[in-house]
Amino acid sequence: MTFMKILSRTALVAVPLCFAAAPASAAETRGYVISWLATATNVTDFKANCPQNKNGGRTEWTIRDLVAVGYTRKEAEDIVTNAPNSTELPADITRKTDTRAVLANGQHVSIYNYPEAVTDPNIETVSGKFAYGFDLGGKTEANKFEDPDTHSKVDNQMWRAVGCTESFRAVPPVMPFPEEVAWNVMVDTSPAWSLMITGDDLSKDGKVTLTFDRVTQHLERDSAGNVMSNASYVIDGSPKSHNVLHGEIKDGMLTITPSNLYLQGEMPYYAEIAIRNAHMRITQQPEGKLLGYWGGYVNWMRFIYMYTARPGNGSDSVGLYHAIKKLADANPDPKTGQNQEISTTFRMEAVPAYIATADGKVLGMASAGDVVAPAKVAGQ
Amino acid sequence: MKNSCFAISRALTVAVSMLPFMAGASLSPASAAENEVPLSLRLSPSQYKQSVLEIFGPSISITGRFEPELRDEGLLAIGARSASISASGVERYDDLARNVAMQVVDAQHRNTLIPCKPVSATAADDACARTFFGAVGRLMYRRPMTDKELATKVRLAGEAANARHDFYIGMQAVLSDMLLSPNFLYRYKTVETDPAVAGKQRLDGYSKATALSFFLWNAPPDDVLLKAAASGDLHTKEGLKRQVDRMVSSPSIEGGVRAFFSDMLGFSDFETLAKDPAFFPRFTPKVIDEAQEQTLRTIVDLLITRQGDYRDLFTTPNTFLTRPLAAVYNVPIVETADNGQPDHWVPYTYKPNDPRAGILAQVSFVALHSPAGRTSPTDRGKALREFILCQAVPPPPGNVDFKFVQDTTNPVYKTTRDRLTAHRSEAMCAGCHKITDPIGLALENFDSAGGFRTKENGVNIDTSGELSGAKFDGPVGLAKVLHDEPAVTACVAKKAFSFGAGRAPSATDAEWQQIQAKFASSKYNFIELLRQIALSDALYSLPSSQVASVQ
Repeated sequence: MTFMKILSRTALVAVPLCFAAAPASAAETRGYVISWLATATNVTDFKANCPQNKNGGRTEWTIRDLVAVGYTRKEAEDIVTNAPNSTELPADITRKTDTRAVLANGQHVSIYNYPEAVTDPNIETVSGKFAYGFDLGGKTEANKFEDPDTHSKVDNQMWRAVGCTESFRAVPPVMPFPEEVAWNVMVDTSPAWSLMITGDDLSKDGKVTLTFDRVTQHLERDSAGNVMSNASYVIDGSPKSHNVLHGEIKDGMLTITPSNLYLQGEMPYYAEIAIRNAHMRITQQPEGKLLGYWGGYVNWMRFIYMYTARPGNGSDSVGLYHAIKKLADANPDPKTGQNQEISTTFRMEAVPAYIATADGKVLGMASAGDVVAPAKVAGQ
Repeated sequence: MKNSCFAISRALTVAVSMLPFMAGASLSPASAAENEVPLSLRLSPSQYKQSVLEIFGPSISITGRFEPELRDEGLLAIGARSASISASGVERYDDLARNVAMQVVDAQHRNTLIPCKPVSATAADDACARTFFGAVGRLMYRRPMTDKELATKVRLAGEAANARHDFYIGMQAVLSDMLLSPNFLYRYKTVETDPAVAGKQRLDGYSKATALSFFLWNAPPDDVLLKAAASGDLHTKEGLKRQVDRMVSSPSIEGGVRAFFSDMLGFSDFETLAKDPAFFPRFTPKVIDEAQEQTLRTIVDLLITRQGDYRDLFTTPNTFLTRPLAAVYNVPIVETADNGQPDHWVPYTYKPNDPRAGILAQVSFVALHSPAGRTSPTDRGKALREFILCQAVPPPPGNVDFKFVQDTTNPVYKTTRDRLTAHRSEAMCAGCHKITDPIGLALENFDSAGGFRTKENGVNIDTSGELSGAKFDGPVGLAKVLHDEPAVTACVAKKAFSFGAGRAPSATDAEWQQIQAKFASSKYNFIELLRQIALSDALYSLPSSQVASVQ
């Protein structure tokens, strides 16, 4: 069995395939850039996941906001009905709802800057059975999901918190809306992340090393608007996002020895991807692209910042804030007991790329097939 | 146009000045003989842009489209002799002219580009207008303006300035007219009596300077060259040699070389080039622009910087790449520019055994001469014959059946070679395909977008071929055969002369044979070829119509 197997029952179906065979050599390194990264969703059975269906969409959040500042439900519905596009309220009303957060000194402040100072709207969270993820060692049996692919019991309280929110009802390649918007800005502006996989023979089972870095260029798009494959990138010399992880290819699936992962990002996307106790499983698609899941614990407050910092992007920021805080399941604060981390899973894709150092060493090759290595490149 | 006086005078000026150059007018012969000396040549878009750049500087932007160019005898430079300007073309040139003139006199530029200040900015100032138009007119018309011409410009500028109470409006109006004048848009040849030889005629010095400058620099004559024209220096062998040597050693020679090869290699077709993004996602708009630049950089590097052998263009492992281009070629480059900076060009050298070499393996050739979704060895072979070897390939018959060649999923004929073999079984097709396909099939390792491949529909691609009796295998094999093919050097020499003269050379002409011999003895140094052509009498031949009128 090679580094490939059917990964998903939904859109992630892949044909069994190994890494394309490379000429026999001591070791080989394939290069990739992360071309898709967002919260792993599982929306195949919304009724089972969210039987109350009470969270609603943006119209419902707006009505809730209006009720929270003193309007009756009927008044709130009338205001929304009469608004130009159901959510674009008069400025004085928006100001009232957006600054309903009250500090201890009585000062009204933005609910997006101070979600803690807003009453928890108690949004519905996922009560279904399935979520993508990994067994991170969580001790609370009631928190466990079943992974749709591996059928193992997994920890993913993040999905429990966000999975009943409209903007997270996305099926790949569509990302959850807030991540989609931010990612599409990041693709064309922020430095990308590279992944190199090194092994003796990547067409066979065996030990591998995964090296993650930040590169100096943003992702290159192709003529269809997707991330271009086989483009060249140069690794950022800063060690901040340099991660060397160890793993293994077995029966076509690449998994890693649990480790910590840190990748510096840029707003409006996540300012960082920082995963403690990171787990991964990755397969290769027929066209050479990688598809997989990363799971582990993230700091819930740093995670939710991406949402609360950009209100109005299709997510119920305040509701999510409280849900994620409540469902955080690891690393309790010694003083308050509040868990600081939450189990989560990202879905990722990566396309083949040439990865080089700034001094001209090409470390990762985009493919093993008709690759033409340079006789000379600048800097050598 | 708010002022009616100005509007009428401008309209009359435009109508009268453009009349001889409108489509169908007698001065635009539809089909001149291949080596007939042209009387006039229309400026190409690149020559127009370069002229504005040289005269007014790089801060003047040129926006808008130009009248389409005509390709004749394989070159736009030859088509320029019969290129008229259509009614819609006049509108396009008028828009361009207005836009340029407006920028030249605007508050940002006037103090730099107009060498004097009017006594009053709200009224005419004939002295200042005369100074400005006298200076720019000499550069724009590539000769000094006549007293009558200059007086007319000054008078019209004054009338417009007084009517609008704005000196600069007057300057703008007249400058706009000058940019629309045939004296600017066309390169005329003017004949004069040769004072040294009784009864003999010659091109005047300004016509010579213009021919020389657009040939070597793709730009109008500079001040030094115009002075040499005025002094009669260009009529002496020593004087001409002095100018030619100065010009070929100037950095501006790159402009001429780039313009020539863009024309010779048919780069104007890039304007309509597209690939199916479903099959060739890496073929982006950036790649289309950068593919041309890659080839031109390769050429400039070999022929100017290294003063290399023209034939090595087909075998050189040296080129330049950007990240998008490198992705098409599936090779790594190390580009260390900061995030968000424009693509940088990185020198790149292929290994000796690499399947790519020379400019014919570049996107600018293999992708330019392929349909949107498949390769066409016939198109590539035809282009190679016509552009590189100067050999004509007849057009296909009207009732040709393409059912085999276009069926890329045919279960029996899996490779393009298979499909073309089946196609050639039709007798009416076989003749021409024998000319084109054996060389075009050698490039089948390159897909329609220029990417490398070894298989088509799962079958190994056979890239063997033959040219002039020499057998080869693959694109590198073809490149080596081309390197030693005499028609390659004869063709570039012919095209270079045609580019400069707007006509083909006379093959039996002794001077032409001498030029070719010197090209060969220089080890096919292309700059030396340009130099020899620039020094030849043939470049300055007299238009037959002008000879008749003088006699």
